[in-house]
Amino acid sequence: MQTIDSQSRRQFIKGVIASGAVASTGGLLLAGSPRSARSAVAGSVERLISLNINGRTRRVDVLPNETLAMTLRYKLNLTGTKLSCDRGECGSCTVIVDGLNINSCSMLTHNVRGKQIRTIEGLESQDGALHPVQQAMIDELGPQCGFCTSGQIMSAVALLDKNPNPSREDVRQALAGNLCRCGAYDHYLNAVMRAATGENQRVHDGI
Amino acid sequence: MARISNARDMMPRFDLVQAADLQSALDILAAHENAAWVIGGGQDSFDWFKDRAKQPEVVVDLNAVEELRGVREQEDGGLEIGSLTTLAELQDDPMVNERFSLLSSAAGRVASPQIRNVGTLGGNLCQDTRCWYYRQGLNCYRAGGNTCYANTPEGLNREHCVYGASRCVAVSPSDTATALVALDAVMLVQSATGRREIPAREFFVGPSQNIRGMTALDPAEVLVAVRLPGQWAGAKFYFEKVADRNTWDFALVSVAAAVKESGNTVEDIRLVFGAVECVPRRLDVIEQRLKGNELTEQLISEVAASASDGAVTLNYNHFKLPLMQNLLQRALHRVES
Amino acid sequence: MAYKLIGKNFTPPDVRAKVTGKARYAEDFRLDGMVFCKMLSSPYPHARVVDIDASEALSMPGVLGMITADDVPAQNGAHEQILSNEPLHVGAPILAIAAETEEQAADAVDKLNISYEQLPFQLDPLEALRPGSAPARSDGNATLLEYRQPAAASYHYWSEEDFNAVSEGELPQGASMKDWAVGDIETGFAESDYIMDESFVVAANSHHSMEPRSTLATWEAGKCHVYGSTQSQAWVNAGLAQYLGIEQQDLVYIAPFCGGGFGSKGSAYPSMAIPAYLSKKINRPVMHRFTRTEEYYLGRARSSFQARAKIGFTNEGKIKAIDLYLIKDAGPNEGFSDIDGASACVNLIYSPDHFRLRAVSPNTNTPPRGPQRGPGHNQMVVSFEPLLDKAAAHLGISRLAIRKINAAQTGSGVGPNQTEISSLYQLEALEKGAIEFDLAEREAVSGPTEDGKVRAVGVGQAYHPAGFNGFDGMLRIDTEGKVHIHTGVGNLGTYSYAGTARVAAEVLGVDWNDVIIHRGDSREGLPLIIGQFGSNTSFTASRTHFAAGTDAADKIKEIAAIDLGGEASDYTLANGQVSRNGSGNDQSLSLGEVAARAIEIGGKYSGQVAPENILPPTVAALKAVEGLGLVGIANDALSKEQEVGAYAAGFVEIELDPKTGQIEILDYLGVADCGTVMHPQSLATQIKGAAVMGFGMAVTEGIAYDPQNGLAANVGLYQAKPPSYLDVPSVMRADALNLPDPQNPVGIKGIGEPVLGCAASALICAVSEALGGYYFKRTPVRTDMIVNAAAGMKLSQSPLQKHSQ
Repeated sequence: MQTIDSQSRRQFIKGVIASGAVASTGGLLLAGSPRSARSAVAGSVERLISLNINGRTRRVDVLPNETLAMTLRYKLNLTGTKLSCDRGECGSCTVIVDGLNINSCSMLTHNVRGKQIRTIEGLESQDGALHPVQQAMIDELGPQCGFCTSGQIMSAVALLDKNPNPSREDVRQALAGNLCRCGAYDHYLNAVMRAATGENQRVHDGI
Repeated sequence: MARISNARDMMPRFDLVQAADLQSALDILAAHENAAWVIGGGQDSFDWFKDRAKQPEVVVDLNAVEELRGVREQEDGGLEIGSLTTLAELQDDPMVNERFSLLSSAAGRVASPQIRNVGTLGGNLCQDTRCWYYRQGLNCYRAGGNTCYANTPEGLNREHCVYGASRCVAVSPSDTATALVALDAVMLVQSATGRREIPAREFFVGPSQNIRGMTALDPAEVLVAVRLPGQWAGAKFYFEKVADRNTWDFALVSVAAAVKESGNTVEDIRLVFGAVECVPRRLDVIEQRLKGNELTEQLISEVAASASDGAVTLNYNHFKLPLMQNLLQRALHRVES
Repeated sequence: MAYKLIGKNFTPPDVRAKVTGKARYAEDFRLDGMVFCKMLSSPYPHARVVDIDASEALSMPGVLGMITADDVPAQNGAHEQILSNEPLHVGAPILAIAAETEEQAADAVDKLNISYEQLPFQLDPLEALRPGSAPARSDGNATLLEYRQPAAASYHYWSEEDFNAVSEGELPQGASMKDWAVGDIETGFAESDYIMDESFVVAANSHHSMEPRSTLATWEAGKCHVYGSTQSQAWVNAGLAQYLGIEQQDLVYIAPFCGGGFGSKGSAYPSMAIPAYLSKKINRPVMHRFTRTEEYYLGRARSSFQARAKIGFTNEGKIKAIDLYLIKDAGPNEGFSDIDGASACVNLIYSPDHFRLRAVSPNTNTPPRGPQRGPGHNQMVVSFEPLLDKAAAHLGISRLAIRKINAAQTGSGVGPNQTEISSLYQLEALEKGAIEFDLAEREAVSGPTEDGKVRAVGVGQAYHPAGFNGFDGMLRIDTEGKVHIHTGVGNLGTYSYAGTARVAAEVLGVDWNDVIIHRGDSREGLPLIIGQFGSNTSFTASRTHFAAGTDAADKIKEIAAIDLGGEASDYTLANGQVSRNGSGNDQSLSLGEVAARAIEIGGKYSGQVAPENILPPTVAALKAVEGLGLVGIANDALSKEQEVGAYAAGFVEIELDPKTGQIEILDYLGVADCGTVMHPQSLATQIKGAAVMGFGMAVTEGIAYDPQNGLAANVGLYQAKPPSYLDVPSVMRADALNLPDPQNPVGIKGIGEPVLGCAASALICAVSEALGGYYFKRTPVRTDMIVNAAAGMKLSQSPLQKHSQ
C-alpha cells in the first residue's frame, strides 16, 4: 500500500472516522489483490484496527472487503462462528454486536470497530461454567449435527438479554433467522425455554 | 454467458470509506461517479460483491452518518425516518407503530431478525430485483444486454410480473416500498449539488423508464430520509405478504391498505400490491370506486373481482391473479374490522 | 428386558463441544503454512474444454499452482470426475488454483481464459428417452446403478410409438432398464373392483447440509492427511484412498464432526481429492472452503421421478395389484439406487398381492444425484399416500382403515427376492398414532374454520431397511479399568456413535462414566464398519459393539479363571468387576487388574493376535491398541438371514388458507417402529427433525433448471427454501413402539429415513384433504399450486413437467 499523501488526508480527515491508531504499514504484507497495487482512495480505512471481542480488545489487520465472519475465523481463530451460506440466509454465523444478533458473514469488520462483539466462545464464564442457554442445549439435546448451534445460541442469548421471560412464540420469532437442516427446532425451542424458566421441557414425547 | 464469477464469496478488493457526515459521503460519491457504491446495512450489496458481479473501486459506508438515523416527528403529525434506520428499529419504534403501523408491519415481514437488525429502510427500498435470471448474472436487458430470459415460452417465471412488462418482467422485492406508496411517502434525496423530494410513487421506476435501475436515484445521490405525511397517521391499515416460507422469502404477492373513514364511508384510501410489477402497484381505479362509499360486502366483492384487471400473465404466474383478488378482499375486510 | 444403559437418556460426549463452539468441523482446522484453493467450474450444462489459458492467472500475486483434469486420475465408467474437461453439469469442477490467500485464489480464477465448445444438453429424463434427443453424456443417455456393478452409461431410447401410445398427462412406458415382479399383475387387476392409473412427478431437491463440504489436506512423511466433512468415518477411507491413488495405510482421515449430510456425505466424494492433489503439487497444506453455491452444485440432490402407478383395489380397500413404472433422473452420473428403494417400499408397505416394477434411469445435465434420506422410498410415499386417500374416499372407507387393511407385518416379503422382514409393526404404529393423535376427534372437527381457512388432517407412512451386518467392533480396557471403545462410526449428528457404544458398556456391565469413546481420526485405531447412511447404524453398530463387548467379556472371564480358578463360565461381570458366581470379594478381580494381566499374558488378550475373520482395515486399526490392555475385538458374525426394516407413521393437522395458499402446520406426531429404543432423546430429535425436512420436501423444496440454458433456479437457500422455525409447528411430538427386533441382540433397528417420508406424505395428504380431495400428483405442492387449485384454475405446470420453480 502506498501511503496516502498528507495533503489529501488532511482534506478528508474531518469527514472520515479516525480508524484507531494510525498504523505503520511497513510491517503489513498486503495480500496481493490486483487492486492493491494502486493507491487507496483518500480517506479509506486503516487496516490495523482494534476490535472488542468477548470483552477483550484484539488488534487485527483487516482488509476493507473483509467480513466479520472471516476475521473471527481466520484472523482470531474463533472458529465457533460457522459459515454456512455466507449470504445472510441461514444464521449459522450469528454473533451479537452491541446487543443485536447479526449475521457476521454480512457485516464488514470495519463496521464493528468500537462495538462490543460477542461470539459463542465468550459465553462461558471465567470459571468455565456454561451459559444457561448452553447448559439447556445439552439438557434438552438441542444440537444434532451442531453446525448451526452456535448461531442458534447467539440468537437465543440476544433475546434473553432483552427479554428474560419470553413466551415460546417469542423465542420462535427471535430464532426464525437461524436455519437448521437437521430440523432440531423443537429441541432448540425447548432448550431456550428451559434456560428461561429452568423447567424441563421434555413433556411432549411418549418416549 | 454469466457475468458472475466462478470464484464466489470472496468480495473483490475495494477501498472502504467510512463517511462521518453526509456531506463528505456525497463529496466522495461525486468524485468517483460510477466507480463508487454506497452501502448502509449492505445486505443486498454484499451479495453482488460476493458474486463479483459488481466490482466498485470505492465503497462508501454511511453507517457512521448519524443524521441518517432515527425517527423524527413532523409538525403535520407525520414522521421523517432516516434512511439508515434499521428495519428492526422501525418494527419496534413506538411512534411508527402508533401512527403508521402499516410500515412497521411491513418491516417486520422482511427477511429474518438478523437482517432486520442490520438492514436499513433505505437499503430495503433501494435493493435490486430478485429475478433469478438477472441474479444469475445473465446478460439480460436489465444487465445491459438485449434479451429477457424470463419472458419466454420456457422461462421459469413464477415470481415475475403481471403488470408493467417492458422488455424486463422483474418485480419489486421490497416489502417496505409497498407500504410507503400506500402512505404517500416522500423520499428525500441528496447529492453533492442539492436536495430533491420525490413522491414514493415516482421514486420507484419500472423498466419502461429505466431498465437498469429500480429507483429514480442518480449514481451520485443518496436516499437520506423518508417523510410520512401526517395525513395517514393513525389511519386503518392492513398489510399481508404471501410467500413460500414465513422467514426470509420475498413476496409472491403482498398487499398494503390504508383507509380513512368518515362515519361509515371511505374518506380516502390507498391500496397497493407488491411483487406484481417492477414497482409497487397502486390501485387507483379501485381507490376511486371506494371513495365516498361504505365498504359493504357487495362492494368489496365487486372491487376484489377487479383487483387483477389488466394483468398480463406469463407461463407460470397466473396464480397471482386470484391471489391479488383474494388479498384485496381480505385487506378490505380486515382493514375495516 | 431391563437394561442399565440402553433406552436411557445420556449426554453424548460431543454435545458440549457443539454448544461451546469448540467442535471442529473440517473448515475449523488450521495448519502451519496453510493456503487456499478455489475451483473453476463449468458455466455450461454440457461442454468440452477446448483450451485453458492460465498464463495471467498463474502470474498473479500469491498464486502457487493449479491442477486440471490432467493432474488427477480419471474415474471409470459413468462415475463423477474429480476434475473434468467435459463438464456434464453447470458447476462441474474443471480446475483448481491454490494461492496464499483465498482472495488471491479467487482473483486468479477470474483471470483464467477458458475456451469451451458447448455441447447439446439434456435436462428432462422423459425427453432424454425420446428418439433423437440429445444424450447427456458422450457415452450414453442412461446409466443404471446396480448393486456391486460398475456404473456405465448406455444408450436407451424409446420409440415414437411409445410416446404416441399415451394420452396427455400419461407417462409413456417404453422398454425398461430394470424390472421385477411378484405374482401376476393382470390377475390382480382382474380381481380388483376399483383401478386407478395415475402419472405423477416428484421433484429433485438439494440436500443443502448446513456445513458446506470443505476439505483440508496435507502430506506428511508420505501420508496424506485429510480433514473432511463426512457422515461416516472408517467407511470413507477406502474410497478416499482410491481417489487419491494411495494405499489406505497412507491415508490419515480426520472427521470428528460433520455438519449434516443426509446421505450426501456417506462415502468419500470426488471433490475431497482436489486440495490433496494441489497440496502434493505445491507442498503446502491446502484448505478448500466450499461455498454454498458449490455445495448446491456438488452437494448432491435427491433424484426426481416421473412415474406412473396403476393400482387395483377391492371394494374393501385391499390392494390387489400395483404396476409401477419409474423414470428416475440419474443426473450426469450413475446417481443412486432410488429405483430399488422405491419399488421395495411400495411393494412392502402397501402389500399388493401382485406387483410389477419397470424402470429406466436416464442421464441429465443437472447436478450429481446421491442418496437423500429415504432415497426412492420417500419419493414414493409422497406420491402413494395421497392416492390411498383418494381410493379411500372413492370406496367410502377411512384413511386409517385403508392403511391398516394393506399393512405389511413381520415376515412379509420385501424386494425382488421377497426376503422376509424380521420385524415390522405397521399396524401397531398406525393404531398407536391414531389414538395418541386423537385422529378420529380431529377428523370430526376438520373442515372450514370461522376465518375462512380449512382445517385438515393427514396420515403418512414410510419404510426403509434398517441395518447391515458383518462388520467389526473393537474396544480396549486399560489398567485403570477404563473402557476405551473404538468406533468407526462417523459423527453425523444422530449420536448413534455414542448410543451404539453403550451396548458394549451394557454387555461389560461397566459404568458409562468409565467409558471413553475413540473416534473421528483414523490414527485412533477405528474398526471398519459400513457408513452412516441407510438408517443402518443403530442396528449394525450395536451388533459390532455387542460382538466386541462379548469378546472382551469372554476374555475377562478366561483370565479370571486362569488366576482365580474354575471355568470361565463360573464368572459374571458387573460394576467393573469380574466375580466368581456366588462368591465373596476375594473371588473378584477389577477390570483394571484383568487388563494388567491381559498385557502380561499377551496374545489374543492384549490384541497381539487378531481374530481370523476380522476385516483388513480393522487388523490395521488393532495396531493402535495392541498390548495396551485387554482388547475385545470381533467381527459381527451373528446371524442375519432376514431383512431389517424400519417403519414410521406420521400424523399431521394443518390449517390451510385457500385464499393465499399458506399452510400452518398445527400439530405433528411421528411414531417409529425402530425396535428397542436405544436413546430416547436422540430418537425424538430424529423423528421431529426428519419431519421438518419432510415438510420441506412436501411443500417448498424442489430444484428446477431453465430449459433454455440449463441454469439452476434454486441455488441459494432462499431459493431452495428449507423450512424455518416459522414453517413448522412450535411443538412437535414423537413416539415409538419400542418392540425389539429379533435379529439384533438388544432389539435395536435404525430409523433415520422413514421418519422423513411419513411426515412429508402426511402433510401432502392433509393439503389434499383441505382442498376437498384435490390430488396434485406433483411434489412439492407449492403456494402457487394451492392458490390455483383453490381458485379452480389449472395448474401452471403440465402434468409430467419436471422442472417447475
